[in-house]
Amino acid sequence: MSAQIDTAAAPKPRARQASPHRTRNLIQNAAVAVIVLAGLALWQIAADRHLINGQLFGSPLGILASAHQGLTTGTLLYDSWVTLYETVAGLLLGSIAGTGCGLGLWFVPKIARPAEGVSIVLNSVPKIALGPLIVIWFGSGMSSKIWLAAISTFAVSMIAATASVRELDRDLLNLFRALGASRGKIFRKLILPSAVPWIFSALRMNIGFALIGAVVGEYIASQAGLGHEVFVAGSLFDLNTVWLGIIVLTLMASLLTLIVRLIEERFVTWKSDR
Amino acid sequence: MTPALAIRSLSHDFIAADGGATPVLDRLDIAVAPGEILAIVGRSGAGKSTLFNIISGLLSPRSGRIEIAGVPAGTGNSRIAYMLQKDLLLPWRSVLDNALLGIELRGKVGAVDREDAIAMLERYGLAAQINAYPHEISGGQRQRVALTRTLLLRPTVLLLDEPFSALDYETRLMLEDDVMSLRDERGMSVVLVTHDIEEAIAMSDRVVVLAGRPARVSQDISIGLTTAGRRDAISAREAPEFRAYHARIWGALKSTAIAA
Ligand SMILES: Nc1ncnc2c1ncn2[C@@H]1O[C@H](COP(=O)(O)OP(=O)(O)O)[C@@H](O)[C@H]1O
Ligand SMILES: [Mg+2]
Repeated sequence: MSAQIDTAAAPKPRARQASPHRTRNLIQNAAVAVIVLAGLALWQIAADRHLINGQLFGSPLGILASAHQGLTTGTLLYDSWVTLYETVAGLLLGSIAGTGCGLGLWFVPKIARPAEGVSIVLNSVPKIALGPLIVIWFGSGMSSKIWLAAISTFAVSMIAATASVRELDRDLLNLFRALGASRGKIFRKLILPSAVPWIFSALRMNIGFALIGAVVGEYIASQAGLGHEVFVAGSLFDLNTVWLGIIVLTLMASLLTLIVRLIEERFVTWKSDR
Repeated sequence: MTPALAIRSLSHDFIAADGGATPVLDRLDIAVAPGEILAIVGRSGAGKSTLFNIISGLLSPRSGRIEIAGVPAGTGNSRIAYMLQKDLLLPWRSVLDNALLGIELRGKVGAVDREDAIAMLERYGLAAQINAYPHEISGGQRQRVALTRTLLLRPTVLLLDEPFSALDYETRLMLEDDVMSLRDERGMSVVLVTHDIEEAIAMSDRVVVLAGRPARVSQDISIGLTTAGRRDAISAREAPEFRAYHARIWGALKSTAIAA
């Protein structure tokens, strides 16, 4: 009975500690906001007084105007949607295929070593350099971007998955074998769950890689997407739209990271460092 | 009487990558009676865990055989279960689901298994932790979950490979008691592998000393202790014979250090 009372009481001291912590966070965030706003104000003043070349640097109000225009014409949302779609599709495709290959190697230990070597070589290929090739193969539509994003993420997931298998505790494997578990059961109840944290950490890294793959694909050849928008604006010296594209891409990466983290927190409730 | 577990002229070598053989076990003959607690004592690296892996079927010996209740291991109805120093709990499973792992891997978990598991966890003072995750409980509690997982398989032979050596002294004594009273209740045989001479004497009916390289049985000592009341982890250590056994086993281990 006393143990239950203990666990019920446990969160209380933590809640008490939280409030000074939160205050400190608030002050920090406020400081960051002030610095950013001051920087933007300086930038705007410098551009207005022609201290810097507005044509080459853009300006905060110019970016706002560009955003307003993009929102009213609907191009901004459409381009964002296109890039988001390419990124997420490529991210899922590459990560799932990479994880599948990496974990699948557990069933064929004979080729695990050489295949792991291949995945490391694959990882060192500059995937972006394959862009023109992919566009020739898959055209200038969304599918070439999805492929480029998928190729950019495959190796990372595969390396993480093979590492999770390699780092598995031999004694755990022995325990399962001594308990008479079939290979299928070992895979489902041991290999797969112990890979989950590795899968998520690869996924978090891959968000950036997938986004780069999609955007660079759009730079090379496209009709839509934020990369397309940035590329066209850049060639027209419309720096405000370039900045706008970069800001939206950054927000997109942060949003995806947040979503992955939320899913991970739901899935991996058992980790001690959480 | 047919031994619960018989190790018959068992030898084993490890073959290195360059083809050289490292002999580890040399013609071991050990029999464990039903309901007996046998301790196997040897220095670190003597081959105790190797012997365990062979008994539990994880490793095939170079020669010799293992019999459980008179039939080759793995063929009869008798069951061996083992427990290591590491609790080997799965961090993503709750205490209850960890306890049920063995049953789940062998077949289906029924309502009766669930009740059994809960009853046993309650007996070990884990009633409030049934839905906790392993990282939320102490090392001693985790080892009790591992013990529950092992015992739910209703083993006829329980193998313990230095199961308590990572725990603090008090917890260790409690778990030693748990194992001894389980043997009394269920009549299963227990083989305890340890380098802790005190634990070996306190818990077991017989101590076998493994010595040399490759390891052979150098001593086989029956333990008889005079205790005031029931024999438990504490009263065994206070028995008048305890020191003499300790000296004798210690001597056997030391002499092998010189021989090796
Ligand atoms: N897989 C293996 N390959 C080669 N040598 C091994 C292997 N496992 C154990 N050994 C060697 O066999 C000897 C006995 O090891 P082990 O059975 O773990 O000893 P103990 O459990 O008594 O400490 C040690 O010298 C160890 O280095
Ligand atoms: Mg050992």
